[in-house]
Amino acid sequence: MQPATVDNGASSSGSPSNRSRARAGLAFASPAVVLLTLFMVVPFGLAAVLSFTNRKLLSPLPTRWVGLDNYTDVLGDSGFWGALQNNLVFSAIVMPLQTGLALLLAVLVNQKLKGSVLFRTIYFVPITFSLSAASIIWLVLLNPSGMLNTVMEVVTFGAFAPDWLNDPSYTMAAVIIVSLWASVGFQMVILLAALQDVPKSLYEAAAVDGAGAWKRFRNVTVPGIRHQLFFVATITMILSFRLFDQVWIMPPRPGGPLDATNTIMVELVDTGFERGQIGKGSSIAVLFFLIVLFLTIFQRKFEPAD
Amino acid sequence: MHSKMAKILASILALGLVAAACGNDDDAPAALEAAQEATAAPEPMDAAPEPMDDAMPAGTPCDGEIDGPVTLTLTSHSSGEAYTGAVESFNAGPGAELGVTVELLDLGESAYEAFIVGAASANDLPDIIDMDGPFLYNFAWNGFVQPLGNCVPDGGLDDFLPSIITQGMYNGELYSLGSFDSGMGIWAKRSVLESVGARIPETSQDAWNAEEFDQLLRDLAASGVDAPLDIKWWYGAGEWRPYGFAPIVQSAGGDVIDRSDFQSADGALNSAAAVEAMTLFQSWANDGLIDLAAVDDTNFINGDAALSWVGHWMYNPYKDALGDDLVLVPLPDFGTGSKAGMGSWNWAMSSSAADADAVWAFMEHVTSPEQVAAIAAAEGAVPSLQSVLDADPTFQPGGDRYLYVLNLQGAPDIAVPRPATPAYGAIRDAFSDALADIVAGADVQSTLDDAVEAIDDDIEANEGYPIG
Repeated sequence: MQPATVDNGASSSGSPSNRSRARAGLAFASPAVVLLTLFMVVPFGLAAVLSFTNRKLLSPLPTRWVGLDNYTDVLGDSGFWGALQNNLVFSAIVMPLQTGLALLLAVLVNQKLKGSVLFRTIYFVPITFSLSAASIIWLVLLNPSGMLNTVMEVVTFGAFAPDWLNDPSYTMAAVIIVSLWASVGFQMVILLAALQDVPKSLYEAAAVDGAGAWKRFRNVTVPGIRHQLFFVATITMILSFRLFDQVWIMPPRPGGPLDATNTIMVELVDTGFERGQIGKGSSIAVLFFLIVLFLTIFQRKFEPAD
Repeated sequence: MHSKMAKILASILALGLVAAACGNDDDAPAALEAAQEATAAPEPMDAAPEPMDDAMPAGTPCDGEIDGPVTLTLTSHSSGEAYTGAVESFNAGPGAELGVTVELLDLGESAYEAFIVGAASANDLPDIIDMDGPFLYNFAWNGFVQPLGNCVPDGGLDDFLPSIITQGMYNGELYSLGSFDSGMGIWAKRSVLESVGARIPETSQDAWNAEEFDQLLRDLAASGVDAPLDIKWWYGAGEWRPYGFAPIVQSAGGDVIDRSDFQSADGALNSAAAVEAMTLFQSWANDGLIDLAAVDDTNFINGDAALSWVGHWMYNPYKDALGDDLVLVPLPDFGTGSKAGMGSWNWAMSSSAADADAVWAFMEHVTSPEQVAAIAAAEGAVPSLQSVLDADPTFQPGGDRYLYVLNLQGAPDIAVPRPATPAYGAIRDAFSDALADIVAGADVQSTLDDAVEAIDDDIEANEGYPIG
């Protein structure tokens, strides 16, 4: 799913050594290709087929072709559009916020200061937790009388201590907070690696030219890591569309309360597995794939040129 | 990269269009069959138990003999001492004599149903399934479990509570037996109720009515109880919600499904009376009278809550903590009398059981008076055998848990069985979601209408769950 960054240097010509290189390349690629075919392409193909049937997860009743019924059902269901809207809102908030925060953290931990390695570790550690485990921990932290609200009450003198998970106006905010906490470290590490690749000489030259810290950041750092920034933004968008663990586990019901955190993944799992309607669930999967594909292609239009 | 993706996409779409072009053809083409096989389609009806002879009619899984040493797998929701004890005593006693060994596999409660469905799709069902009451009807409809039929000897059911037999029946046949039944009510502290001058009802007939209960909650709050009503909200989504709170709807005169033909919940779950009762419940949540923040059982014990709306399983811990101050009262009456949930975990024979006689030998053991007493005591539950029940003073008039017995004796008018329909899973999910939304402040009528739609959609998708 994730688009590789395009390496423009490696265009092939027809020399014999290139041919054996191509063969080696195929050999190296084949395990991944086989596994991807087996576990991504084939299941997706089956899902596409099943989406035109009334297939159940389990049922003594025979499976029948139903044509486009599943698609008309799903597209006519306000739950699907509500879920899509939540996905878009979540992505629209998380993508810039998470990319920005990752950049900020990366710049901070890139400083040659004592303890920066410690902070790098601290920011990265949440990545090693499974999202579902993190969601359970946050469930306790976000409890109305939990730790977060205890702090909030002190800081805001009791003015702001919402019931994060039962009050539909705050649930998505809570999910966003958890999502940022849980995954910003990943983007940070990518950007940190990129930062360390920006030639020192550019900074020195900029400093000699009298550029201040902000100007150096604006005119040296950002252009120097623009490809990685774009990659991070793209991958964050795709990952954010897969929002599932947090909204399945944390709210008082999956996607709740009042559909405030319902996402397409929740709709998909709920339809396919909880309700056992594999055919209809498959049609959601196909639609979901098309939506993410479209957004990814659209986003690539903005890829920075060299 | 773009063009490659486009090609893949195009071929997938083409595949889909071919599939669509096949239309509503009943005999599925090869592609579909391949797809079915790839998803490990089970053939539930074909999963006949091996000792079954073709000549034998259904419902006679037992042939009276155990063919050689056999090891049976039991999936259970618990590996508590009572359960492991029951298995160990079977293996050491009757099992050793008969050459039957039972292995217990603890699946926990939360993913139990998913595990069984997964096992069924892999054609790898355990031999003995310990399951929560309402799972039975869908499992039976899917053919995961088989009727006990001739395994049960004459008079073998005489000592069982009628509620256990009712729970085990689907489509006119007995599929399961339990070691205990459940009890539902409100645990309170006598001293706290007396301090606000509340009447303490003892039977469902003199339960608090809704206005009285509303007033009591407000009096308790005024007396300084933080959030008076504990409803174990932290149990989360799942069976607790319909078990614990469908009695509100039923007490108001509604139900979770129209039981005349089990084809729709319309007019039952979203009836005006149901909406009114759930609106009152919602106002308790809105007004902070319900403890939604608790994350464990301490709130009732330490006095942050005064009333604990929960089942029998809290009897042992509450009794240990509170002693004689603990009192059990019926759920409030929302119009047509106080109601309560009933039914609980029970034992069934899977349709691929290695040897039906061996399975029955185990079921006989875990429903023997000795094991029933041990398991029910550990769960704090109502023993499934009348003889065991009679021997426990807490279930006799004046005893701590007498209300449970009265409620079960009053079934289906007081304790209401969960509807015996394969659609129960959909009912549970719809009710669980609806309750969450209602507590969060959603419009009650439209929330219950949505729940009805979800239930009816499931029934329609399964073609009305036809039998046979």
